[in-house]
Amino acid sequence: HSHHMGIYHMDNSTMPPHHHMTTSHSHGGGDMMMMMPMTFYFDFKNVELLFSSLVINTPGEMAGAFVAVFLLAMFYEGLKIAREGLLRKSQVSIRYNSMPVPGPNGTILMETHKTVGQQMLSFPHLLQTVLHIIQVVISYFLMLIFMTYNGYLCIAVAAGAGTGYFLFSWKKAVVVDITEHCH
Amino acid sequence: MAMHFIFSDEAVLLFDFWSVHSPAGMALSVLVILLMAVLYEGIKVGKVKLLHKTLESLPTATSQQLILETDQDSAGSSSPPVNRTHLRWFLCHFGQSLVHVIQVVIGYFVMLAVMSYNTWIFLGVVLGSALGYYLAYPLLSMA
Repeated sequence: HSHHMGIYHMDNSTMPPHHHMTTSHSHGGGDMMMMMPMTFYFDFKNVELLFSSLVINTPGEMAGAFVAVFLLAMFYEGLKIAREGLLRKSQVSIRYNSMPVPGPNGTILMETHKTVGQQMLSFPHLLQTVLHIIQVVISYFLMLIFMTYNGYLCIAVAAGAGTGYFLFSWKKAVVVDITEHCH
Repeated sequence: MAMHFIFSDEAVLLFDFWSVHSPAGMALSVLVILLMAVLYEGIKVGKVKLLHKTLESLPTATSQQLILETDQDSAGSSSPPVNRTHLRWFLCHFGQSLVHVIQVVIGYFVMLAVMSYNTWIFLGVVLGSALGYYLAYPLLSMA
């Protein structure tokens, strides 16, 4: 009975009353309470957001978190569009390399190669790299936010992504990169 | 949360009511997730096709003028025909944004399904993505 009481002994900071066990005990073992919800829920009490110091407990805090997540998702879409634009702009400079190649009848022809791209140590490429890191980090943050399974925050992510796409892609709608993955 | 892949006939996916207990339920769930992954790949292609269709339906000179206009950010006179074109462009872009939201949400749903660490679901996602890519991407080059 002591371990039976142990389940209810855990205080509310780790196990809000809404979250009941929905996953089955297929792996047997003890009565391990899941710390993380695995289904969508709508609640604003005791919601941990990314960092241990960010805990939402009131509707006001949830509203603030909603706005912050919304803006983060919007910023992410804007960053994607901005990187595309920067890449296009920096590829205006075209390098020509001429090299001799053997041609028919034993003659030597000059073949000109046109390369469109950035050099490794050029400033545009370094800037792209820094922006890429920021983009990767933000995309993982958004994934982790969605992983809280909190309905309000997930809606904020989706709405922010849609609004950011709408606002920033207005002019760049002609160039579409479809090979990107879910982020 | 189990942090390794397991073969199991029991899982809870995404929502409280989507709890699977039986092999038949698991097979059905894998099918649903597979279709979701196919839909995701299809939406990616669909967005591009939607854009091309709108660009084609506009008169050619106007569409190019539209792109140039939006690029140069020219403020000023728009005659009524251009206004109508702008409206159609706006509607197309709004529609594209909605499709983008659906794409984001489905992408996250598929990610969360994989996060259940159920191997059958994961295989369903992989197969669905492969099937979706196989079916949808040839449609891209068919201008």
